[in-house]
Amino acid sequence: MNGWTGRILRINLTNGNIGTEPLDPALARDYLGARGLGTKVLSDEVDPTVDALAPANKLIFAPGPFTGTYAPSGGRYNVVTKGPLTGAIAAANSGGTWGPALKYAGYDMLIIEGRAAKPVYLWIKDEKVEIRDAGHIWGKIVPETSDAIRAETDQDAHVACIGPAGENQVLFACIMNDLHRAAGRSGVGAVMGSKNLKAVAVVGTGAVACADKERFERAVLKVRQMIHEHPVGGTGLRLYGTNVLTNVLNQTGGLPTRNFQDGHFPTADKVGGESVAAKVLQRPKGCFACVISCGRVTKVTQPKYKGEGEGPEYETAWGFGPDCAVDDLDAVTKANFLCNEYGMDTITMAATVACAMELYEIGAITRKDTGGIALDWGNAEAMVEMTRLTGVGEGFGKKLGAGSYRLAASYGHPELSMSVKKQEIPAYDPRAIQGIGLNYATSNCGAAHVRGYTISPEVLGVPQKVDKDTIDGKPELVITFQNLTAALDASGACLFTTFGIGAPELAELLSALTGFQYTTDDFMRCGDRIWNLERMWNLRAGLSSKDDALPPRLVKSPIKTGASKGAVSRLPEMLPVYYERRGWDANGVPTQAHLRELGLA
Amino acid sequence: MTYFATLRDIAGKKEEQWDEPAATVGELLRGLIARYGPKFGRWLLDKGDLKLAIVLVNGRDVRDLQRLDTPLAPNDTVTIFPPVAGG
Amino acid sequence: MAKMLTIHADKCTGCRNCELACSMGHEGSFRLAATRVHVYTWEREGFSVPMMCQQCHDAPCVKVCTPHALERNALTGLVMLDHAKCIGCKMCVQACPFGSAVWDEATQKILKCDTCGGNPQCAKFCPSGALEWTEDLVSVRDRKYAFAAKLKAAFSE
Repeated sequence: MNGWTGRILRINLTNGNIGTEPLDPALARDYLGARGLGTKVLSDEVDPTVDALAPANKLIFAPGPFTGTYAPSGGRYNVVTKGPLTGAIAAANSGGTWGPALKYAGYDMLIIEGRAAKPVYLWIKDEKVEIRDAGHIWGKIVPETSDAIRAETDQDAHVACIGPAGENQVLFACIMNDLHRAAGRSGVGAVMGSKNLKAVAVVGTGAVACADKERFERAVLKVRQMIHEHPVGGTGLRLYGTNVLTNVLNQTGGLPTRNFQDGHFPTADKVGGESVAAKVLQRPKGCFACVISCGRVTKVTQPKYKGEGEGPEYETAWGFGPDCAVDDLDAVTKANFLCNEYGMDTITMAATVACAMELYEIGAITRKDTGGIALDWGNAEAMVEMTRLTGVGEGFGKKLGAGSYRLAASYGHPELSMSVKKQEIPAYDPRAIQGIGLNYATSNCGAAHVRGYTISPEVLGVPQKVDKDTIDGKPELVITFQNLTAALDASGACLFTTFGIGAPELAELLSALTGFQYTTDDFMRCGDRIWNLERMWNLRAGLSSKDDALPPRLVKSPIKTGASKGAVSRLPEMLPVYYERRGWDANGVPTQAHLRELGLA
Repeated sequence: MTYFATLRDIAGKKEEQWDEPAATVGELLRGLIARYGPKFGRWLLDKGDLKLAIVLVNGRDVRDLQRLDTPLAPNDTVTIFPPVAGG
Repeated sequence: MAKMLTIHADKCTGCRNCELACSMGHEGSFRLAATRVHVYTWEREGFSVPMMCQQCHDAPCVKVCTPHALERNALTGLVMLDHAKCIGCKMCVQACPFGSAVWDEATQKILKCDTCGGNPQCAKFCPSGALEWTEDLVSVRDRKYAFAAKLKAAFSE
């Protein structure tokens, strides 16, 4: 096969069985790879009502057809499983260089089943696959884990691993690869920890083939040119990273502040991308085959928050910054490093701390609960300490490790968790930006921004400017973005290529590489298919339209200050239109007719 | 006037009081380019029309208003981002 | 005037587009185990360096090659490898101080940068200007030697 390797690796940790099976070309054609193929497998093989942390859940690592080629910024992979944070389907997306390694080793997917009796790690070198003892590595943070495993496997091994957070099953523990890249959300790291799996180390010496080399090279060079000429994809992201958004959102009045109590934070600039570039940035970094280089290599020298690594990205800077009313960049960067070292999703971690700060503000928790720490708004030291305690699983950190919904509910205030399907809302206030609110409410993995990034048209004006405050046309806009993104994720491409190209270029790259011919419509239909399959899985898991909701604050309490003062989310008006445009009934259930169109019924 | 990202480096400042008369956003931008030069201008205007820059008047994006013809009043706050943002 | 691949390591983002272009150009597929350029990344510090055959003026690999498969072309300044003459003894692998001659088990061949016949794909695909195909001028050569000295210092620590 071209693009795909044509092989799947399946490992059962309960009985130690290791086997390979062929990839059905029809499935590859319809679901592409990564998020798409992973969802298809999960859908076919895992009972959606299963406990996410039980052995019956499966953990799927899947790169896409682009992964391992020079498709520009096309080196990503997904981890697909049932998310312990949400009880819904989870597909966490990561960059770095791990995904291509799995392709070179010869696999389109790694399916992990069951649970090991004791801590283990997987060592994959081409066809040689071993389950090895990880007892001596269990407990180590991510950088030390990587070093230890490379020392006993291969100096150049690519390592995807969990830190102590995943081992302790923090519900938002993530899987880190190449030290600094994260398959971040929904607790995929906790699933890995529940299987007693510490890491997957890969070396691959094989090849990824290309169907039409001249056509592919032409398409690649054209795409590179388009991205290069785009101000965001070609220049902005390399200079300032994603965090340039802090000031943009603040100035438009949509920067959630103090757990979404407000939409504007006066000192936001101190933790924005300009400040990062001036104070902590060492140099830009690119993932595999990347032409954009949005990665930030950073270092804090101040002894109190000393550390080095990558980040903070926008969501991270927002969460540990304005959402907690903190404006100390070193502290924010340190919290980011801690999350990478312990293996935790930065968005959920930060939003959980913010939620805890609000609970503290209203007296629902006190210093007795927090172990003497004054969890006041803006207390940077407290914010960093709470992050550290969550990572090591001590003190109040143990409670924070369940995420903001369970935390707030345990103190009688579930409405103070700014989440959807128990996953915390990222860094764009849905009251100030209508479309993104609809995306949060309807994303199959819980609140997520990248699943349908309407911030591009609504705030940035990419590809065209759309009024952020109107609701007309927003359901259609959200659906288009969601479908495009699902197909894009499944191909192994990076979302940021959309600052430059769109579905037509992705379809052309895919056609030239794989030899299967995709029109733009075919590509978008793959995305629609994947979206509906995810939705069906969630419905079988017990979710329903009542879970397509935003916290009451965002629908009822207007933003207090800033450029979007007075705004609320008009989700209730948009949702019925969204269902209808999706080809679903009034309860948000895909109709048989629509499923048949997509080949799902 | 408030400037962000690359515009800060070119203008040499983060914010300032703009006292020159400007009835519309277009006049204001041309005044800024006259003061800070073509390096400033290339982030903002492309063949005389607004590029992907984000220009806010009192927090509202001029592309949702009248673009370069958006009128300005004496105490308006104008914020300008070059087209660098995303993520 | 000869040309050379100049490495600007401070611009390298660790993206490996150079390795991918090299592999596709020479092998017709993406097989990073078979590239003539390799990127080394120090992950904690986030620093990456691309390395390839330096086309040494006084090449140790040429000196040790008994069948004269490796020879320096004075006009182009390149150390050329004639696979037909190569006996696979791997003495060049032993001799190269930079580790830039590599034995590929899969194809049973020595892999060494040949600048793609004067149109190096790595430089073409590098998105950040970390690899540049430049004139072999005195000033550029001095810069290259300064960089090589840094590597030497790193190994002497």
